[in-house]
Amino acid sequence: MASQIPSELKYTKDHEWAKIEGDVATIGITDFAQSQLGDIVFVELPEVGTTLDKEATFGVVESIKSVSDLYSPLTGEVIESNTDLEASPEACNSEPYGSWMIKLKLSNPNEVEELMSPEDYAGICDE
Amino acid sequence: MSGTLRDVSLGQTSLYQKHIDLKAKMAPFAGYDMPIQYTSVKEEVIAVRENVGVFDVSHMGEFFVEGEAAHDFVDYIITNDFMGAELHKAVYSPLCREDGTVIDDLIAYKIGREEVLICVNAANIKKDWDWIVAQSKKFKVSLTNKSEQYSLLAIQGPKSEEILKSLEILDDIEFPYYAAKRLNVLNQDIILARTGYTGEDGFEVFCSHEFAGELWDKFLSKGVTPCGLASRDVLRLEVCYPLYGHEINDEVTPLDAGLKWTVKMDKENYIGKLALSEYKPKYRLVKLSLDKGIPRDDYPILDEKENVIGKVTSGTMSVALGKGICLAHIEKEKFPESKKFLVEIRGRKYEANYHTKAFISGGHK
Repeated sequence: MASQIPSELKYTKDHEWAKIEGDVATIGITDFAQSQLGDIVFVELPEVGTTLDKEATFGVVESIKSVSDLYSPLTGEVIESNTDLEASPEACNSEPYGSWMIKLKLSNPNEVEELMSPEDYAGICDE
Repeated sequence: MSGTLRDVSLGQTSLYQKHIDLKAKMAPFAGYDMPIQYTSVKEEVIAVRENVGVFDVSHMGEFFVEGEAAHDFVDYIITNDFMGAELHKAVYSPLCREDGTVIDDLIAYKIGREEVLICVNAANIKKDWDWIVAQSKKFKVSLTNKSEQYSLLAIQGPKSEEILKSLEILDDIEFPYYAAKRLNVLNQDIILARTGYTGEDGFEVFCSHEFAGELWDKFLSKGVTPCGLASRDVLRLEVCYPLYGHEINDEVTPLDAGLKWTVKMDKENYIGKLALSEYKPKYRLVKLSLDKGIPRDDYPILDEKENVIGKVTSGTMSVALGKGICLAHIEKEKFPESKKFLVEIRGRKYEANYHTKAFISGGHK
């Protein structure tokens, strides 16, 4: 079954999505990522105020048998962290694009240009 | 999470193509490309606990010991009591060196008066085979490594007996827990055993590669859930079965891993007896659960004062408990009387619950 890849979002090779609104990016993991991980049972996210470099680890997502790091697609400061996911991590499986993880205030909005388009991202999801 | 190229150096079981067709997630395990999960680890665990699931564990090793001294020889190389077991019964045991360290753990099946099947871990086949052959010189036995000739299916769960009966693999004869017999079913010679690695009732079928495919299809057509190695690991950890390379390894003895019940001091001479009779364990194996966080292999275990006193040997999210569970080696001399433990996860310390019994009891008969 092909993964969903909404056309309005940007993507990374690490299977994260970013929704860009002005200088704020909302970030989560893709449908492909959740299907590869399987049952997500634990999400650990950074506190508000944490500053992140592009590609820095910002948290972890765990399935029953695996631990995967989450990488920030962009540089910025965490202005919101979706703590609801700590109580209901399975939402990352059922609604990967509704289950945002962090909102970042971008310190270098030009980096957005380096993110992948939905078309390019679809290419790396097809083996 | 990126796509992987098939590693041609990996072995494949006879059911490999069936796993691919079922779109299983495959990964290297002990030199084989093995199914890790099919649909969901959670669903597979629940299927085995409440219903019935089937595992392809054909990567495991099968050695046959034949001859008039077959039982004596097996009894001599393992620490558990083999002579005391009745004909057509199986015995779980560590396989130890003279110094008591563990080469592997295995199940020895007393399938004939002069025949024993030994089933060993896939990763240890060569090490075990070389060791066992070297020990056999003084015994009237012949040894055969048939690991490549046999497929092995484990059908596990409370409904496994019902499935085997419906397929006429099992009739109404008594076939108790840990029974093991050569049978001819559906015109095929198989070895059937009521053993497994899940804590549930279940059977293992040692058979030809051709019959394994047929049997797999029959099981699936009866609604048996195909299960991968990930769910198998969760199942065994919830009932606290040890895994070689984790709770036991070349560096420790069975007495470091909660396996005292498998080391029989009242048994006649066997390899490792002397060393084990004098051995002071270095570690104690503990069972811990966490209300928050999931313990994983090698995470540090701390005492109340935050001194490192051990490490996790196996950890996972428990499906039955809905929380993180682990087995951990604690250095014996640092074992806290308070039985208060902390697990360190990515720099944070989480209070653990100490369990005196397995996390769940399982339903095996």
